[in-house]
Amino acid sequence: MSIAIEGKKEKKFLKEGTFGIYTGFFMLGSLVLAGAIIPWISKYGPDELASMPLAPPSRANFFGTDVLGRDVFVRVFDAVFIDLGTAIIGVAIPLVVGTIIGTLLGISQNKRVNSVVGSVIDGINAFPFLVFVIALIAFIGPGVGSIVLAISLVNWARYARIARTRAVVVNKQGYVEAARTLGFSKKRILFKHIIPNVSSETRAYALSDFIIVIIAIAALSFLGLGIKPPQAEWGGMIRDGKDLLTVGFWWPTVFPGIALCWAGIAVAFISEGLTRRMREVGTR
Amino acid sequence: MPHLVPNIKKFPRFLCDTLKRERIPEVTESQKTAASQDAKMEVEKDRNRAALRKTFYGRILRSIIVGFWVMVIAFSLMRLSPGDPVRLALGADVTEEAVEAFRTQLGLDKPFYLQFWDYFLGIFRGDLGYSYFSGRDVTEILGTHLPVTLMIIALSILFAALISLPLALWVATSKSNTVNYLFRALTSISLAIPGFFLALLGLLVFGVYFNIAPAAGYEGAFPGNLRYLWLPALANCGSLVPVLSRVLHSSLVDTLDEEFVETGIIRGVRKSRFYWSYLLRPSLAPTVVLLSYMVGVMIGGTVIMETIFSLPGIGRELITAVDGRDYPVVQSIAMIFGLIVVFFSFIGDLTGYLLDRRVTLS
Repeated sequence: MSIAIEGKKEKKFLKEGTFGIYTGFFMLGSLVLAGAIIPWISKYGPDELASMPLAPPSRANFFGTDVLGRDVFVRVFDAVFIDLGTAIIGVAIPLVVGTIIGTLLGISQNKRVNSVVGSVIDGINAFPFLVFVIALIAFIGPGVGSIVLAISLVNWARYARIARTRAVVVNKQGYVEAARTLGFSKKRILFKHIIPNVSSETRAYALSDFIIVIIAIAALSFLGLGIKPPQAEWGGMIRDGKDLLTVGFWWPTVFPGIALCWAGIAVAFISEGLTRRMREVGTR
Repeated sequence: MPHLVPNIKKFPRFLCDTLKRERIPEVTESQKTAASQDAKMEVEKDRNRAALRKTFYGRILRSIIVGFWVMVIAFSLMRLSPGDPVRLALGADVTEEAVEAFRTQLGLDKPFYLQFWDYFLGIFRGDLGYSYFSGRDVTEILGTHLPVTLMIIALSILFAALISLPLALWVATSKSNTVNYLFRALTSISLAIPGFFLALLGLLVFGVYFNIAPAAGYEGAFPGNLRYLWLPALANCGSLVPVLSRVLHSSLVDTLDEEFVETGIIRGVRKSRFYWSYLLRPSLAPTVVLLSYMVGVMIGGTVIMETIFSLPGIGRELITAVDGRDYPVVQSIAMIFGLIVVFFSFIGDLTGYLLDRRVTLS
């Protein structure tokens, strides 16, 4: 910012945000690649007895073994797909549903429907995210499917609120008026003109939401309400190791935690980089 | 130096009073213009007061409506359950009659709106139903455990403020690009570190290595319980600090561009007064509003912290109730947390408005 004011160094080596985006994609890519390759080439399966229980990190078991003698290294990378996959679905469903409902609300002329659905959305948003998800899981039962369902039931409202505010603005723009004057069908205007412009905002939110969701999924497993134990999962692994942490066995907890942070930080960098780049495009 | 003449319209209201005192003698030369000026200010004041009243009542009404929906949503949670909650609660081997009797006892045989009406009236009588298992009143559970949770939240917010206020001030006033860049990178990173992992690391460092934080246990009295609460609160504010310091930083940067800050520097205002009145107060409003919205996130984090550190708060009660499928307890705890968030966002919006009247309430 100060660069622009001072008028020096106008030409920069890299575009603003590029470094963040590349670092983020590199971190995410390496994690996914490791998640695909390591369980496949490793000697032990994720549920197999690899060595003595609680063996420290060594050349045979890079991250040591957990309380049941399973190799932590294999388990950490075996969990990549279930963790990332659940988070991606848990972000995608509310993104689509919330954007469509919010857009429809934003362009609808019916005041009564608008205020009633609007206050329902505010009501859902009032609940603390994690508490509401936990409460929902209490009623619909644990498991991958119900995590996705619970997160979708809570999160669509956040997207709907963003989409609604945005849709009101987009609906008044010249190009939408022009499309209307040209006599395009309502469906075409909605899907070709309004939703793409509304969703640019909700998609930007989806990236930062991804971090919240991936942490929430791990937190649910950590609380014993999420993905069920035999399946390797970061939150669940941290849960298994947490009581051993205070007696000196740090490896079954710390390595899954680092993997979780790694994934979150990767997405945070991508999101940060994209925001900075968008801001730069906006000010140019 | 023409640019030093302050543009009164750009000033926040609290600064206008000071400046008017200086400017009015020049502007009002004849009695007549002074009178009209006074009349104008009177009108302006009335309009301000009316606007304040309007926003105040508007916010109250909105909060009541949202609070109502919070109750409806919490109440209809029970309906989401795929199985029969009564049968699930009683277990598999009970007779039909026992199930029916329990259902009648809970009032579950009535239509939905009547059930909700009973529940709604019960809330105002302080009757939230009772636990399926322990048989305790939910109100009593809330009364004994809520203070611990609220205390953790208050401590987390205090810690977050103590960390992010100096941090944001330092970064915003620093000219160095490296500091700004590091600030952005580090807040990005700490945003992605889950609270429960941070808590476990804290336990490893402070509990095992330095041995200054107890891993579990609790005592009720106020100054003594801080010994058990400081680490959970510190870990919990890990998710608050990056968000808070970022928003504060960006509004501080905006404020620094304003002309009145320049005026303040040139006039040689006392340092403490400069930092508070010229820098912080005009920039604090978005942060306060954000803080009130973050109460929800703090509550979510507290649930986890209470489980890790075995603190007798409402969050651990929630997890126990979820494990035991104790529906009335889950439902009421979710509702209370929702209402707390509604209350705090009302307070936060209002405080933000009072701090800086330029903020338009959405």
